[in-house]
Amino acid sequence: MTLHQLNNHLNPAPEALPASPALRVDGLKAYYQTRWFGITREVRAVDDITLRIEHDEIYGIAGESSSGKSSLIKTIAGAIRPPLNVVGGTVNFDFGTRKVDLYTLKPEERTAIRWKHLAYIMQGSMSVLNPLRRVRQSFIDFAFRHMGMPMPAFLKAVEDHLLRLHLQPGVLDSYPHELSGGMRQRVVIALATVCRPGFIIADEPTTALDVVVQKSVLTMIREVQREMRASILFVTHDMAVHANLTDRLGIMYAGRLVEEGRTRDLFRNPRHPYTLHLIRSLPRIGDAEPRQGLEGTPPNLADPPPGCRFHPRCPIAMDVCRVMVPPMQALGGGHRVACHAVTEGTVQ
Amino acid sequence: MLKIFRDLLRFNLEFAIGTLIVSIIVGLSVLSFFSPYPPEDIYVVAPDVPPSWEYWLGTTSRGQDVFWQMTAALRNTLLFGIAVAAISRVISLTIGLVSGYMGGMTDRVLMSINDTFIIIPLFPILVLFYFVMRDSMSWALLALIMAALGWAYDARLIRSVAMSLRTREFTSQCIFSGMSPRQIMTREHLPYVLPIVFSTTLNNMNWSIGMEVTLSVLGFTDINTPTIGSMLYWANQHTALVAGVWWWIAWPVIAVMLLFIGLYLLATALNEYIDPRSRLSRMGGAT
Amino acid sequence: MSGADTALLDVRGVSRSFWTGGLLSRRRIDAVKDVSFTLTDARPEIFTIIGESGSGKSTLARMILNGMNPTSGSIAFGGEELTTIRKTRDRMRFMSRVQPIFQNPFESFNPLSKVDRYLTMTARNFTEARSRAETDDASDRALRKVGLSLAEVKDRFPHELSGGQLQRIAIARALIPGPRLIVADEPVSMVDASLRVAIVNLFKDLRDELKVSIIYITHDLATAYYISDRIIIMRKGEVVESGDARAVLDNPQHPYSILLKDSVLSPDVPDDDEPKTIERDRAARSH
Repeated sequence: MTLHQLNNHLNPAPEALPASPALRVDGLKAYYQTRWFGITREVRAVDDITLRIEHDEIYGIAGESSSGKSSLIKTIAGAIRPPLNVVGGTVNFDFGTRKVDLYTLKPEERTAIRWKHLAYIMQGSMSVLNPLRRVRQSFIDFAFRHMGMPMPAFLKAVEDHLLRLHLQPGVLDSYPHELSGGMRQRVVIALATVCRPGFIIADEPTTALDVVVQKSVLTMIREVQREMRASILFVTHDMAVHANLTDRLGIMYAGRLVEEGRTRDLFRNPRHPYTLHLIRSLPRIGDAEPRQGLEGTPPNLADPPPGCRFHPRCPIAMDVCRVMVPPMQALGGGHRVACHAVTEGTVQ
Repeated sequence: MLKIFRDLLRFNLEFAIGTLIVSIIVGLSVLSFFSPYPPEDIYVVAPDVPPSWEYWLGTTSRGQDVFWQMTAALRNTLLFGIAVAAISRVISLTIGLVSGYMGGMTDRVLMSINDTFIIIPLFPILVLFYFVMRDSMSWALLALIMAALGWAYDARLIRSVAMSLRTREFTSQCIFSGMSPRQIMTREHLPYVLPIVFSTTLNNMNWSIGMEVTLSVLGFTDINTPTIGSMLYWANQHTALVAGVWWWIAWPVIAVMLLFIGLYLLATALNEYIDPRSRLSRMGGAT
Repeated sequence: MSGADTALLDVRGVSRSFWTGGLLSRRRIDAVKDVSFTLTDARPEIFTIIGESGSGKSTLARMILNGMNPTSGSIAFGGEELTTIRKTRDRMRFMSRVQPIFQNPFESFNPLSKVDRYLTMTARNFTEARSRAETDDASDRALRKVGLSLAEVKDRFPHELSGGQLQRIAIARALIPGPRLIVADEPVSMVDASLRVAIVNLFKDLRDELKVSIIYITHDLATAYYISDRIIIMRKGEVVESGDARAVLDNPQHPYSILLKDSVLSPDVPDDDEPKTIERDRAARSH
């Protein structure tokens, strides 16, 4: 092997894509490893996940409790703490001006990245805003250092940002408890995006909100994305939100990605039996057709079933599903699915 | 339960050291039953002998063997602590659970009694009791009085837990399963507060032993029963330090300090085990 | 009066207010304002109360379960005023006919108790079953109605079961006394989507096969449409619209009902050339 070849081997040339994606996750594995009073447990919350998120795109992740979706985004955001550890794989961001391999960085650098280039919007908005200070102070506390401009200019920038998001700058003078739940969540989104990050991670940001408010918050998220041309990784268990917001969608089950594709394709033509069930079982107003529930229970990630993790609940499970993990199979048009039945063509 | 104990012993250093120290103290107290001299008797050995092969820890100016005297003192002190803790736990559990679960008027009445006990100054009350009772003041009576005064703080703690348990959905489920308030309190709520009771027991023992030592040193208790406190009282009476009989004071002080440290370590270790945050991180949990 | 005319549940002009704030700045909050409806005994139905947070729907549920008295108005169950049900015997009789299902299946079972205990207690307190074999038999029969069996549930702790299973066990428990009415407060909002339909279907079966009336309290219009016979829509304590479920939801009249229906995100993806629902909304507003 020549030195040149070796060099290529160690630093493979970028793939022949027009630009590298905003986020590249390769073979990511993150396990909860606990050792407490003699009992060692390993919970494979994120097990071999590979995905790409393009620039200027809203990518959704859907999954139920114990699907590992929260652990996945914590890992992608670099916000993991023991006992959750990254066991393998890489997380690469491309923020345009800067490319980052998240888990080769020192922890301090990772934290710095999280404020400047990454925004993280969580479900509980109260934990972000200081309940004893006016909202203005929260903006100063979180964002002032990262903006690198004098205070008057900073406050002007904050007000402009709020106006762009159709929020009255008057909210800056309020205390968090004076705002309604929906308004608070909007303020938190404004706060998370004031540094104009290239990548936004949203973890169930509308789950605790009433339906009327939920819609306006989602509208705001969509607008922020349009305006800033940012990429958003949006996680929720609510399929209706995915249908209305995301461009592409990944379905997680028991720590693995089971299907991925354009949201529209996934809803029109779901291939994995689990996705199929999630979409078909949704009740709709104006449609009282009887629907079938899915039997069984989500698996215990500390002791997942062998083979395809969905097989104990799968209506079309075959023998191979019980022993072999189905590989991710590309179906064209960016649609990927991990199911033996699809690979072997037993289902259409 | 045994398994938890074994795991704690193996993986929690505080717990291991605490257990070791407390076992030594308990071992010493058990030895008191094999004492060659009755612990109350005086002038059974030569007085003021420094530690030697014959008298390991020396002898007192009252002609007692410090080692055997101390084993009896430790036994009584330890029993005193256990008695106070046990009685006061029963009171605080009952008051706390009933007050927290019943709420309303019951809660208000019980808590006003409770708060009275929290704010009355303990030490003067105990001294007052001594002056009233004088010679009829015995070890058991003091334990009863201390227990009657030492439950209030923990009852409030238990009440706050019981109050939050009352609003949990499972309590409603119990009510609609037809369970009586007594069944709900003893079968459903008690297991939740037991861990708190365990750790407060150890702290309560420390508190009552400390109080007993203080009262005894000042002579405000039954000084004829050998306890760590009364040993120190007699040592002071005989001006042991001035007379150079340092071993009369040093050994009991070391023993009682070890007991404090041992109980404290056990309490912290149990607290850590009980604390929901550390329990959560232990369970890890997939989300 | 013939049996067919008796009202199972008669809610007449019920209001409930709370006082908040200090002595001088007391404010009255009307959680429920003048709500009336009647469920008939003859025809079991699923009666849905729709509302968002703060609509007073949970307060109303608590009053129906006799956990709280109305400030004004009255609630009668089977012709009996709930305010007169105070003695233990009367309360037990009431609970044998009205049973609740709670929101969070992980909260509605004590994590430290085995789940079958609740079934056993309910069987013992509300049925003739006394011996272990009899209560087991009663539990098993109830569990089979919800698609489980005692063998799957016996000696299990809540954390060993899924949310869907726990919610079904909760329903089985509520069925043991043979109730006429089940009050379910957001029973599926904490249950995973893949398990939700099964539970909602179960409510239909209870109505059709066991002839149990169900008050289904929810914020979710889609499941309400799927299973309800009649609905009321509540906002800030007041009923803004009521009637046949399909009719109201297909064609809401009150501005709030219309807003609520429009806010529900459709789980259908729009066509390529069509903007997504949330963008249509914004476009409409900016014009």
